[in-house]
Amino acid sequence: MATKPDTIYRAFDRKASAIVEFTLRQYRTKTSTWVVLGVGFTALALIFLIYIDVMGSEFESIDNDGDSTDYDNDGYPKGQEIRLGTDPWDSESHPGLFDTPIEPEPASMYINEDDFDWDITSKLGTQTTGIDDDGDCLNSNKTSSQKDTNNNGIPCDIIVEYFKSSDGNVYTFVSADSGVDEDPDEDAYSREAIHLAFVLSIGKLGFVLLLGIFLPLFMATGLIRDEMTSGTMHFMLAKPIARSEVFLYRTLGYLGIVWPYVIVLGILGALISGFVGSGDAFFRFADLGVWMAIIFATMMATLVYGMLFNALGVLWKYGIILAIPFAAWELGMALLSMGAPDAFLLRFSVIGWALMIVDSAAMLVWPNIDLFILMGNWGGGGDGGWSFDSSLEGSAPLDFFSSKPGLGLSPFLGAIIATLVLLFQAIIFWFIGGALFKGKEIQ
Amino acid sequence: MNLPENTPPAVPFTSQPITPQSTPPIEHLPDGYDSAAPVTGKVRLEAAWGSTEGDEDLTVSDTPAPISDGQIFKQQYKQWNGELNPRWMRNWAILRHHLLGVFKKGHRPWGMPIRLYLLVVFIASLSDVGMTLLSGLIGDSGLHSIWGVSRDNLYGHVLGFFPRNMLYYPVVAALLVGGVISEDRQHGTSALYFSRPITRFDYVGMKFLSVAIIQALIILVTLALYYFAEIATMGRGWAWIIDTFPMFLATVLSALLLIFTYTSIGLSLSSVSKGKFFPGIALLSIVLGTKVLAFIVSNLFDREILYLISPYDCLAHVGQAIIGTQPTYDQYSWTWSLASIVAMNAIALYVLSTRVSSMEVTRE
Amino acid sequence: MIPDFDQQGRAQTKEWVPEVTAPAILLENVSKSYGRIFALSNITLALNGGVTGVLGMNGAGKSTLFNLLMGKLKPSQGSIKLFGTDPWKNPAPYARVGFVPEHENMYDWMTGHGFVSTFARLNGLTRDEASIEANRVLEFVGLTDVAHKKIGQYSKGMRQRAKIAHALVNDPDLIILDEPLQGCDPLARTTIMNVIRELGRMGRTVLVSSHILQEIERITEQIVILHQGRLLALGNLHSIRERLDKIPHRISIQSDNPKQLAKDVIDIDEVFGISFPDGKNLSIQTHNLGAIHSQLPRIIVDNNHKVSTIDNPDDDLASILGYLTSGGGI
Repeated sequence: MATKPDTIYRAFDRKASAIVEFTLRQYRTKTSTWVVLGVGFTALALIFLIYIDVMGSEFESIDNDGDSTDYDNDGYPKGQEIRLGTDPWDSESHPGLFDTPIEPEPASMYINEDDFDWDITSKLGTQTTGIDDDGDCLNSNKTSSQKDTNNNGIPCDIIVEYFKSSDGNVYTFVSADSGVDEDPDEDAYSREAIHLAFVLSIGKLGFVLLLGIFLPLFMATGLIRDEMTSGTMHFMLAKPIARSEVFLYRTLGYLGIVWPYVIVLGILGALISGFVGSGDAFFRFADLGVWMAIIFATMMATLVYGMLFNALGVLWKYGIILAIPFAAWELGMALLSMGAPDAFLLRFSVIGWALMIVDSAAMLVWPNIDLFILMGNWGGGGDGGWSFDSSLEGSAPLDFFSSKPGLGLSPFLGAIIATLVLLFQAIIFWFIGGALFKGKEIQ
Repeated sequence: MNLPENTPPAVPFTSQPITPQSTPPIEHLPDGYDSAAPVTGKVRLEAAWGSTEGDEDLTVSDTPAPISDGQIFKQQYKQWNGELNPRWMRNWAILRHHLLGVFKKGHRPWGMPIRLYLLVVFIASLSDVGMTLLSGLIGDSGLHSIWGVSRDNLYGHVLGFFPRNMLYYPVVAALLVGGVISEDRQHGTSALYFSRPITRFDYVGMKFLSVAIIQALIILVTLALYYFAEIATMGRGWAWIIDTFPMFLATVLSALLLIFTYTSIGLSLSSVSKGKFFPGIALLSIVLGTKVLAFIVSNLFDREILYLISPYDCLAHVGQAIIGTQPTYDQYSWTWSLASIVAMNAIALYVLSTRVSSMEVTRE
Repeated sequence: MIPDFDQQGRAQTKEWVPEVTAPAILLENVSKSYGRIFALSNITLALNGGVTGVLGMNGAGKSTLFNLLMGKLKPSQGSIKLFGTDPWKNPAPYARVGFVPEHENMYDWMTGHGFVSTFARLNGLTRDEASIEANRVLEFVGLTDVAHKKIGQYSKGMRQRAKIAHALVNDPDLIILDEPLQGCDPLARTTIMNVIRELGRMGRTVLVSSHILQEIERITEQIVILHQGRLLALGNLHSIRERLDKIPHRISIQSDNPKQLAKDVIDIDEVFGISFPDGKNLSIQTHNLGAIHSQLPRIIVDNNHKVSTIDNPDDDLASILGYLTSGGGI
């Protein structure tokens, strides 16, 4: 009966589904499976709770340019005095002494009064942007040279320049005319930046790195090896089935429990961050693209690591000893990819490629993310003569966790190539594992 | 025809072939074979096994018992009057069994890869000793200022994140605790201990001690070598020693704390699992996983509170406090970290003690 | 450790055609060594049809032989063919093979029916077919009542029978059982033996290993004797014994009057020695066991002797092995 020729589908339907189902049911009976999945859920839930807490709290609004202060104690904030042309440092000069006296405005009007409005994209070259919302540049009685402190001939604008230096790296230069976009809304910016940084960090470190490595470590290393040590592998190998098939189907069974788990956690994460995250919209639909990439990258990572650790388990009774240094290496590579996504070493890791998928999706969904980081780092013109560090909260972590997909490819192409490389790696590890398993003598 | 040699003489009733139809009642038993009995040797076989074919008649269970005078011996238990060796001697035997296994055969087999890894970590941990000796030999003060004994370097020798406290010591602990108790549970070899005058406390205590001592051999010995290398190569006098000895002692203390914590967490994981892999990976994921989680949160939200659940960070924080290096955790006092370590150890030891005291002396 | 890239095992991509004339099992000059220790040396063997017992002491190489047959080990030398195909390179012949491993470990969390049907699907059955087949074989081995209980709750004998059911589910032509009777109580033994005998009667090739001769001889008289990795004997148990003509056989008769019996027995030509180990026993020495056995009953009946046992004390494995190894073998 088994010697009948089978179509691929029918062969798969019989043997593959039997082993996959068997593997799933075997996992179900093991306590360690539930402990591992539960701990993974708890750990991520902890971070999500902190995220919800942070999103629920107010970010302190700072008067970045100091114009809400009434330095001369005449009752008029500095911003109002500058706009109306009186001397902010002289208590005898204020708009109350005008012919038609003007009432002092509340100081809060001069906090976050001139938010970012950059309408450019990040590309090489010099661009000019920025609108002086509150009019403390355009409408003030400054001279035209005072209105053009960055000397580009356009009054009250911001120069944003991306340039390639001789070492090949791209640097940026921001120079604003005094009084343009000088007092951004911290709450809006930081909320958005921290939200973005959270999605990227939980996706890259929490999902792709931690789930991606530890789930396979716990669950895939013993897929074949445990059966070999307990002697139950004899049952499976006494059937007309090639060993590399057993290897593949066991791994598929492992994926059968890991992939739904990752997908469910990812959807939960997407829902939470979509509802809780910043923005006026009821739900951040755009982020779903990034979350899908995170889920997909984690699935690919668990696939490749699963094949690899399974193969290591077949190779050696102490396969875990080989897997642990490898996991440490991948951890190092993950941190490296944050700083140097173009590093050559990353091409020899799994995590480098998996993170490239997330980075590519982030580039597609949030095309202006590096401009956004630039804004936050610039933060209202700290380099324009203000005496305090002007970068806004959230821009540094976002800067750290976001990175361009390596290889200098377009995001879409990068994601496709990374996926292909990961699939290729999985197939290679399957072949190696299958070949090792075939050559293994089982007592 | 073919029967084992030392078969006892058949009792009369079994010499009658038993057939399914008629079970011969005991009173009808012939005294022996009559002349018509077939003599093929098969008779014996049938007698012994019930029938030639299917043995269906084994269901006939009312076969009478051998007629023989039974005797019941009076059971009497005597106190053993021999002299038991002192408790420490028995404990020493367990400890020795585990410790010497690292070095030679005939004791607990630790597994070649584990021993190899221990050796590699030991040699790698000597890197600062080597650099100190080198800087002393070539007299390079720049090299010495990087590698010589200082607060930061003493801290780094034990608690530095990469590579020591990520790649070396947690992995060593994970490999050691892997099978220490779980293998006994898996193979039922705990019976070998508990069938002897050894209490469970002694059993688990000696296992704990042996794992801790192996780690101490790596961490503390290299630390001491490092300190002495500095004294030897730089010709340090008493004044220097008196100056730096407290900080050396503080480092030893933090190393002991690290060893104790990793061992207690690892052994409690080993006592709840049957496998060899699980305790090791679980210990590693606890140490490194919580570290990564706390890192994400502190980096992203500027909240360090999650460091309190990370054994690595609590140990580092306490270490920074008692060694006196620049603290990297500044949102809360180091006593919180100390309390967290105490709590972790308490939970781990509680799990360990309940698991071991309720451990069944069987193959689970 | 180095992968063997010669292997051709693949998922049923093309039809596996067993060689029609090939015997179920064919071993040619097969040796298996671990380092310098030979677990099996130079075995040549062909088996087809009937029940064959593989006898040998512990460590004689029985399990090694079976693992070689099941493609778990690679022969160091020689070739192994199952239905004309090398099992190490191609798992396809297992479609016609059932294997009962020696290992005690089973999937305790599965039910008997789940166990058998899951592994039946690896033979290429669909879920429904597998379920029906599983019910069939579980009934055959007598586990129908407990088919839906967890294997973990089974007794030792039930576990062995579940393993046998798992091996029979593909209706195999060749069944290999590694120590199927080990650790079973007499009732379970009897059931398993019946199953094996039944399989032999159905014309299957059955290979049973044991280290206890009595077990095997209740199942079959066709035996293979392995000792220290070498093939010592092959064939009918009693013919093997009888071919060892150089060494006399002993027949031990327990009688109420051994002296009188001896007088009658001495007339048989083939008897060349008589001794009296004790007052009730008579020991006859002969080179021709069959001749004695054909004449002895008549003598006993004619002379009205009371005989309680007749033993061939030398027919157990230990003494046969002793003869074969010391007497130069066959």
